[in-house]
Amino acid sequence: MKKEFLKRAMATGLVAAMAFTTAACGNSNTGNATTDDASTTNNAAATDDATSEAVDSTETAAAGDGSYENCTLTISWWGGDSRHSATQEALDLFMEKYPGITVESTYSAWDGWEEKMATAFAAGSAQDVNQINWNWITQYDADGSVFLDLNEYSNVIDLSQVDSKFLAMCEAGDGSQAGIPISMTGRILYWDKTTFDEVGCEIPTSLDELMACGEAFAAYGDDYYPLALGEYDRMIFMVYYLESVYGNDWVTGDTLNYTAEQVTEGLEFIQSLEDAHVIPSIATIAGDGAASLDQNQNWIDGHYAGIFEWDSSASKFQAALEEGREFVVGDYLTGMGDYQGGFSKVSMAWAINANCEHPKEAAMLVNFLMNDEDAAKILKSERGIPVSQSALAAAEADGGLDGIVVEANRKVLAYVSNSLDPYFEDSTLKSSDGVYYDVMAGLSYGDYTAEEAAEILIDGVNAVISQ
Amino acid sequence: MAKKSNAAVAAIPKKKKSFKDICRDNIGFFFVLPWLFGFLVFKLWPMASSLFYSFTDYNLFKGMNVIGTLQNYIDVFTTRKIVTALQVTFKYAFITVPLKLVFALFIAYILNFKIKGVNFFRTAYYIPSILGGSVAIAVLWKAVFRDDGLLNTVLGFFGIAGPSWLSDPDYALFVICLLRVWQFGSAMVIFLAALKGVPQDLYEAAAIDGAGKWRQFFSVTVPIITPVIFYNLVTQLCQAFQEFNGPYIITQGGPRNSTTLISLLIYNSAFKQYDMGMASAMAWVMFVILMIFTIIAFLSQKYWVFYSDEEG
Repeated sequence: MKKEFLKRAMATGLVAAMAFTTAACGNSNTGNATTDDASTTNNAAATDDATSEAVDSTETAAAGDGSYENCTLTISWWGGDSRHSATQEALDLFMEKYPGITVESTYSAWDGWEEKMATAFAAGSAQDVNQINWNWITQYDADGSVFLDLNEYSNVIDLSQVDSKFLAMCEAGDGSQAGIPISMTGRILYWDKTTFDEVGCEIPTSLDELMACGEAFAAYGDDYYPLALGEYDRMIFMVYYLESVYGNDWVTGDTLNYTAEQVTEGLEFIQSLEDAHVIPSIATIAGDGAASLDQNQNWIDGHYAGIFEWDSSASKFQAALEEGREFVVGDYLTGMGDYQGGFSKVSMAWAINANCEHPKEAAMLVNFLMNDEDAAKILKSERGIPVSQSALAAAEADGGLDGIVVEANRKVLAYVSNSLDPYFEDSTLKSSDGVYYDVMAGLSYGDYTAEEAAEILIDGVNAVISQ
Repeated sequence: MAKKSNAAVAAIPKKKKSFKDICRDNIGFFFVLPWLFGFLVFKLWPMASSLFYSFTDYNLFKGMNVIGTLQNYIDVFTTRKIVTALQVTFKYAFITVPLKLVFALFIAYILNFKIKGVNFFRTAYYIPSILGGSVAIAVLWKAVFRDDGLLNTVLGFFGIAGPSWLSDPDYALFVICLLRVWQFGSAMVIFLAALKGVPQDLYEAAAIDGAGKWRQFFSVTVPIITPVIFYNLVTQLCQAFQEFNGPYIITQGGPRNSTTLISLLIYNSAFKQYDMGMASAMAWVMFVILMIFTIIAFLSQKYWVFYSDEEG
């Protein structure tokens, strides 16, 4: 009898243990998919266990300009280590200022980030507050259902700190304010002056000088190039060239503003840079075996002496250089055409998940990260030069802005005259198996003629903008 | 008499089973319940969903506008990029599976001898199987195969100008194949277990008949372990057709799609283009192809696999 009881007890226990194990595995996987445990920040000092459990609590407390509920918010962003630590520090300060609100963070490098966030947006399981790319609004929030309309919380977020023309760039199709831009950015030339000095070549300020540099670098060493452009860089450089020659935006609304002949001309221009030893071939860059240009040994040691990059990325490329190499911001090239080609765009924005259970508190967090003076002193130019007037003033007064980033940003915003359509960065075009990569690599490898590449590019762009 | 006996049995009133009896009789179901739940929710339901989606134009952000279309399947066989990916996948599988099996068997055979430090070597050869898909290995592989990497530097010592392993479409697949073959540890361990099970008296008999080591290997060892070779063949074939990590972390499918396996294309279609309909169709085509190969493998058994419980 006792034996029978023991057998049953064991059987029941085993089933329970198995069920528990299965459930535990499920929880663990879900947790990994949405929140990195290691990256969770809990302000234990400001929030005791009882408070942190009070997600659904209606308890309110006075704070700053208003009241708020004790709750737990989640936030996500991508970036490098310095951005991670600065943001964590700012979040700690936020939790200190607003006791009772706990912020849990999820962050990572850019690789694979968009895929992860896109599925979260589709499933409605994204974090409460998200750092987004501006084109995500068009791509993932076309009907305004994914991100909260920040206008509804304009009494919490001081939208007046941001220029209205920048705010307009983050509106969803239904006119809602889906995001608030953090900074503006554009592509500009950066040079490794040390290499130019070694080669005995002046830093180019015109297209002719750049072409002449190609010759000088080839003579100095076969594996030295004045400029390095990957597939996507080539696409942006081609648009910069075409806009300089013809003055039109690449796309307006659902219309591509360039004919097949003009696009062919743009592609031939890119190929001429490769032929003139101004830029290495796509095969050469692939053969370097680096995940990105800033990790490429040839950039690090000066064999590649120039890049055409976002102004907000300057520090990353500067930091990658070997010690002692001089990194300078270049000028837009003269002799490209009659117009000031090139474009600026919203570098990134903050957006609140439409499913957020505590939208007001999330708005408080966004306002803190955007406009708070103390936060600005911590965040500095980690996300580019802030477009928020109050944040910019505080960061400037504190002397915390990266001089190179400031210089580059000012040059970009003072020069470029074209607008960028949000579809330009659609993943169908921009991803590593997208149309831009196919066209630019195909041209470089000799798989396509310029005419064939132009046709593929135009078809690809039209397929995206027609949707 | 028998009729009477049956009638007598039928006349005995059936004892109603108590709840306790039912529980005891069906206790097995309770044990498999967690697995059953997992299978239904995490396997069967997603598979059924993907089969349904494969006949739709379902996009993660644009929704589903067309249902019951064969367009995705037509596109699978008519889109250049997908057809190329299928060809690359076939090439990859047919290169890596035989190489991996031969290599694993060869190393297992050597490690089956009583040599000093054999356990160390067994562990060392197994380690790549654990590390194979990690980012660290991707970095290592790139460092070895990049233009000025370790391999080309070594070749340079002998006056050989190595090719661009990572950027030349003719060589890039080789790099990915090598990564897979390098991870032969798990197959090796299974072979090792099989080799241990070969009766020693067969070797003794073969030796008496004058068979050398190689003759013993091909005429005794191989026939005896054919069931294990068959098992490894099927599992390696399935894994090769589903390979994702290698090309994803090392070449991202490049250069010029020369290492874009179908699994990578499925991922890109689903999570970069958000075209779940097309991704599902590709996955099902892959599933059917794999099934055909597996069936062929099973049908071929009678010609070359020896089971000890068979006659003759």
